[in-house]
Amino acid sequence: MNSVLLECRDLVKVFPGVRALDGVGLRLTAGSVHALLGENGAGKSTLIKVLTGVHAPDGGTLAWEGEPVQLRSPLEATRTGIGVVHQERNLIPGFSVAENITLQKPPSRRGLVDYAAMTEPAAGCLTELGVDLAPDRPVRELSVAQQQLVEIAKALYTESRVLLLDEPTASLSPEETERLFEVIRRLAERGACVVFVSHKLEEVFAVCDTVTVLRDGKSVLESSPLADHSHDDIVSLMVGRAHAATELHPRPVDRSAAPALELDGVATAGGHRDISLAVRPGEIVGLYGLVGAGRSELVKAVLGLGRITAGEVRVHGRTARISSPRQALHEFGIGYVTENRKEEGVFLEQPIVRNITVTVWRRLARAFGFVPARKERETAQGLVERLGIRIAGLAQNAGELSGGNQQKVSLAKWLAADTRLLVIDEPTVGVDVRTKRAFHELIWELAHDGLPILLISSDLAEMVTLADRIVVMTDHRVRGEVDNDRDYDRMSGRIIRLIHDRDAVRS
Amino acid sequence: MTTSVSPPETVPAQERTAGHRMPFWVNQRLGLLVLVIALSMLFGVLRPAFLDQRLVLFPLLRDVATLTVVALAQMVALSVGHMNLAVGRMAAFGAMFAGIGYDRLHLPMQAGLLLCLAAGAAIGAVTGWLIARTGVSSFVVTLAMDFALLGLVSLMYSGLTEDAAFTTRPAGIDALRSYSLADICVGPLCGSPAVPQLAQFTVFAMLGLGFLYGCTRIGRELLLTGAIPAAAELSGIPTGRRVLLAHTLSGLLAALAGFMAAAGTGTFRASIGDDFMLPSFLGAVLGGTLLTGGVVSVLGTLLGTALVGVIRKGLDLLGVGLESLNIYLGCILLLALSADRIRTVVSYRKVVRST
Repeated sequence: MNSVLLECRDLVKVFPGVRALDGVGLRLTAGSVHALLGENGAGKSTLIKVLTGVHAPDGGTLAWEGEPVQLRSPLEATRTGIGVVHQERNLIPGFSVAENITLQKPPSRRGLVDYAAMTEPAAGCLTELGVDLAPDRPVRELSVAQQQLVEIAKALYTESRVLLLDEPTASLSPEETERLFEVIRRLAERGACVVFVSHKLEEVFAVCDTVTVLRDGKSVLESSPLADHSHDDIVSLMVGRAHAATELHPRPVDRSAAPALELDGVATAGGHRDISLAVRPGEIVGLYGLVGAGRSELVKAVLGLGRITAGEVRVHGRTARISSPRQALHEFGIGYVTENRKEEGVFLEQPIVRNITVTVWRRLARAFGFVPARKERETAQGLVERLGIRIAGLAQNAGELSGGNQQKVSLAKWLAADTRLLVIDEPTVGVDVRTKRAFHELIWELAHDGLPILLISSDLAEMVTLADRIVVMTDHRVRGEVDNDRDYDRMSGRIIRLIHDRDAVRS
Repeated sequence: MTTSVSPPETVPAQERTAGHRMPFWVNQRLGLLVLVIALSMLFGVLRPAFLDQRLVLFPLLRDVATLTVVALAQMVALSVGHMNLAVGRMAAFGAMFAGIGYDRLHLPMQAGLLLCLAAGAAIGAVTGWLIARTGVSSFVVTLAMDFALLGLVSLMYSGLTEDAAFTTRPAGIDALRSYSLADICVGPLCGSPAVPQLAQFTVFAMLGLGFLYGCTRIGRELLLTGAIPAAAELSGIPTGRRVLLAHTLSGLLAALAGFMAAAGTGTFRASIGDDFMLPSFLGAVLGGTLLTGGVVSVLGTLLGTALVGVIRKGLDLLGVGLESLNIYLGCILLLALSADRIRTVVSYRKVVRST
């Protein structure tokens, strides 16, 4: 019992301009749940990539059960017994659950894939996890949470003894998260080591027993029992200095002001019915709901990317029939910070300067559409400084930035355009503690300056911190509205009740 | 009260400037230029005839001028992440209208050229409209367009002409074919006899596209549309219109190339543009344009096309037969592309080591 499965010492990994890992040690013992913590850019992703054979380390040693190993490819890592579930889903949507689970080592007969022999081991893995899922269902029909369990089953099938879970709860509801934890505990009882990467410390304390903290590519706390540390200890280790929780200063909201955005009985082709809400200048209105409640889809319909079939949308008092995001931006001054940063928010392979100024070229352009490069750089530089975006240069590609900084770039383009109404969708998913706080302060200040903000978030704590009113949505309908008094327990109770009343009505 | 939020931790100055700057020799354009010059010198040493201005360089540059415009047509489609498999046929389509203009309407040369460009732009616009409207991939739509135009152009030629070519030549077109800069003199000073006057169109096209992509809003919007269409749309770029514009421009440039090819050979025939498609991709991609969209290089496209032209001509002069010439060409292209990759890897390591 408690034998060391994987141990690494003094790991170094260098990328152009940055020492991503600069002396990391880690000891993973059988039967434990190990938390890997650190802020964005601390080196967690790089460490995971080194442990799974994606990157070769530039220094340091790796040992598997006491023997030195080299992991030259993801395949070698899998063979060694290291499995990983990435933040992004890596399943093939058109394949069945069984096909996906056995993908890396499909049972074969005479060189052909043996579909009949596939179901049994796949079902075995699912049972072992305590998951009730038909192996022949196509993955595309599964919920996000179910897909995640399929990925864990996939790792189980390849007999992984070390399982790395990268932000597994980012898009799960509280119930789904609890079920995932049961699976994690079960795996640990079977003698595996589960490495749990998360930004949510409550979850870490709920499920982990040892912890490693990375900061600036170094392990500042190495494989230490979690029970020895308090919540605040861990935060200060991650951030590097003690951080008192900052209180956001009071911000008066004029409830009598004319709303900047008003939805009145809106229905959409996407299935929304009778949605009414209003956002006033200087007000942060939260739109809370679980993943799949249709919040982002509602906003996209308002922006002209979906069809509104009934009701009325009024922007700044004017009836708005918006047919495209372009019209929303130029005619109504609406900006939308998407939740889907990598696919919709930031042009990863394009320079930062373009990413920020895309919304203002029209304003900067002179005759023949000529955009003066100097003006463009000044605009971008101003926002980089205002938001504290950490970059090497404006010509750098946005994809080279850390997640939090990419998110700031995604926000910056709307601030550049002086939008008069901002919709912010899941601003801090997968963002570290410090960046999260900076983001909260930033959103707060924007509202303080009179900007109306519609905030979409699945993070209840974030809602209670920021929103003035919280509109609760499930199943493409508004279930109710709560005035936020910033008392987390009371608010979460009322909101959860609103969500569950729906279940009562339905059943 | 301002909305500024002080950065939680100021970044040290050297970290800001350390940047990800790659050494200058990683620049693909520079590598291509060196390669083109080195190969020309090598061929010149092996076969001094290679450097003959009138007999070798002039026709070589005339081909390069035409193929560069073809590659630019492809580059514009690639810039929005699309491709144009019908470049050759659009060239034939445009040239056909010029031919009809000269043969039936007895238009002056410039008017025929304008007719040709208008026809190319129109067929490009139809293609772009179909793609933007239906959402069918550009690969499929332009492939279908290629077949449709092949049929249409052949039918029109066989219906309108006796030997499948318009032979009426307007005044001035012969000058375009055979005049070089040597025919333009300022006092006693004349230009090089190696540079064909036909290249003026290439220069115009390059300047125009260079300005479009380098300096204007529309150019930037084309590139972002190519980089990630969904993100471009959400950022307020009318992506449908940009796709339409890119294909219109692509058709226009293809037609220009068709006109140049016809002017270069002297007749307007259905077979113009038959061999345009592969060189169009070669020139653009060798020059650094990404197949996935979002990155283009106008100068690179010229250099990439020049490289292919020099290799072809050089091997031809060395007496390499047509069949084996293609083998050599394939190998050299592979080498050129790998060399680029090697350069990137080596310089990456260098930067890593210094970190």
